[in-house]
Amino acid sequence: MSIQFKSIVELRGMLDEKLISASELTQETLQLATKYQELNCFVTMNKEVATKKASGIIPSDEISSWLEGMPLAQKDLFCTKGLRTTCSSKILADFIPPYTATAVEKLEDAGAITIGKTNMDEFAMGSSNETSFFGNVHNPWKKGYVPGGSSGGSAAAVAAGIVPAATGTDTGGSIRQPAAHCGITGLKPTYGRVSRWGMIAFASSLDQAGPLARTAEDCAILLNSMSGYDLKDTTSLNSDVPDFLANINQPIDGVKIGIIKEFNLGELDSEVQARFEESKRMYEKLGAQFVEVSLPNISASVPTYYSIAPAECSSNLSRFDGVRFGHRAENADDLNDLYIKSRSEGFGDEVKRRILIGTYALSAGYYDAYYKKAQQVRRLIKNDFDHVFQSVDILMTPTSPNTAFKFGSKGTQNPVELYLEDLFTISSNLAGLPAISIPHGQVNSLPAGLQLIGNFLKEDQLLNAAHLFQKNSDFHLSQPNLEDFS
Amino acid sequence: MDQETVRTICYLARLEIDQKKSSKIQKDLETIIELIGGLQTIDTSDIEPLYNPLEMTASTHEDIVNSDNEKEKFLKNAPASNEDYFLVPRVVE
Repeated sequence: MSIQFKSIVELRGMLDEKLISASELTQETLQLATKYQELNCFVTMNKEVATKKASGIIPSDEISSWLEGMPLAQKDLFCTKGLRTTCSSKILADFIPPYTATAVEKLEDAGAITIGKTNMDEFAMGSSNETSFFGNVHNPWKKGYVPGGSSGGSAAAVAAGIVPAATGTDTGGSIRQPAAHCGITGLKPTYGRVSRWGMIAFASSLDQAGPLARTAEDCAILLNSMSGYDLKDTTSLNSDVPDFLANINQPIDGVKIGIIKEFNLGELDSEVQARFEESKRMYEKLGAQFVEVSLPNISASVPTYYSIAPAECSSNLSRFDGVRFGHRAENADDLNDLYIKSRSEGFGDEVKRRILIGTYALSAGYYDAYYKKAQQVRRLIKNDFDHVFQSVDILMTPTSPNTAFKFGSKGTQNPVELYLEDLFTISSNLAGLPAISIPHGQVNSLPAGLQLIGNFLKEDQLLNAAHLFQKNSDFHLSQPNLEDFS
Repeated sequence: MDQETVRTICYLARLEIDQKKSSKIQKDLETIIELIGGLQTIDTSDIEPLYNPLEMTASTHEDIVNSDNEKEKFLKNAPASNEDYFLVPRVVE
């Protein structure tokens, strides 16, 4: 029985019924990764360690944890002890971390087997995976099309059925948008829910780790393990973690879902609108009520984000200096020259662009006008959310205004064109709110995603609503034809 | 944004821009600054900046020595080091 395209729940059943051993599961997963290597999902494989860990898992008649022996892929932004971690950048091309990120460690402690590290936009800066030093990732649904980004390798590996789930990180949509473009499910938890320790920082007040999987149910399984307070992350939330899996399957009668007036959905592609209306009808059938809500400042999310994220990035990436780790230029005249040459050789164009914008926004004379101003607008955006969540439970939008696009077709002449792709996802990062993307059909033969945004710490509501949708539809079961990649 | 400003920011960020790409970078930065500049039309008087969605001060804990901080492991990742220090080009003559 093939393991390809199986969910965690299905693979758990196969393992528990001894239809397959953990070793066989890991070997078949590694074989699938090799078979579809043209997708370019993986930067580094973890073959030896994965094989050894899987062979140590002895089948027993006792109930195993959900993740015992489960193969997972980790975004190459999470530090993994002894396993190369590059952030898809030349500057970290040979970096071997001395420790493992908390989120990954928790999954591995629960029995998961890391089979490899996935390709991504360099330092998570991008929405198409085209800024990776290790080359583009193909969308499994169409060769030569982007998988979305920045967690593009993770999304493609799950969509191609190589792994049942993968980790990602989301600073402005980097879990949800690639999940949407690849036809899978992706959850960005509440800021602080999952430890950021051992994640290579891009924008510290926006970054959050989360799962990409085939179903909301599987996302709940991963989130159960990934969540929780971590002493090592100074912004980790010290609050109770519910059992996300136990909480799905609740009725949603009377749940109020808000549609955001300011997003002007009527201006989107008619097919994108059609999928959205169909999903709305599905939720109405399930008992939800829809209301139009206004978030007057939400249209300012993109400029707000592109002031704050580069500012935090310019500060975070100052640690790459060619001295303590990472690429070091040869033939530097002096220390200053060493910094300049190492960084200029090591970073790609998009990363440089964002460092420069951030440096400008934080420089004397501009700080108040750009950085502080953006943080004030951020407060207004958060206030808008606080206000609407007094009258609705969930907000619903398309995940992305468009489906996946051809390599090189967006943002090369004007970077802002690509930034606008993040319109629907960015605001939940600014406000720290949880949001999920689920597949809800296709537009021009490519997957389209539906986004549900929840109130602070309400991942359980989102997972429940997403699970109900998936129980009543089969969009999440669609599989791409991978003939072009093997 | 003129070429002089771009040169200054590049120096502050310790980055060098390929001369062939310089005018494209300048244009890109102008476009992005124009996008961000749109925020100026929003009235934010008396609004406190929101630097972190949790609005909490970074939590602190007891300063206890633990096994995560091993000098040898960290020095091993440095492109150039001796047994105690990271090595850099000579700073003092």
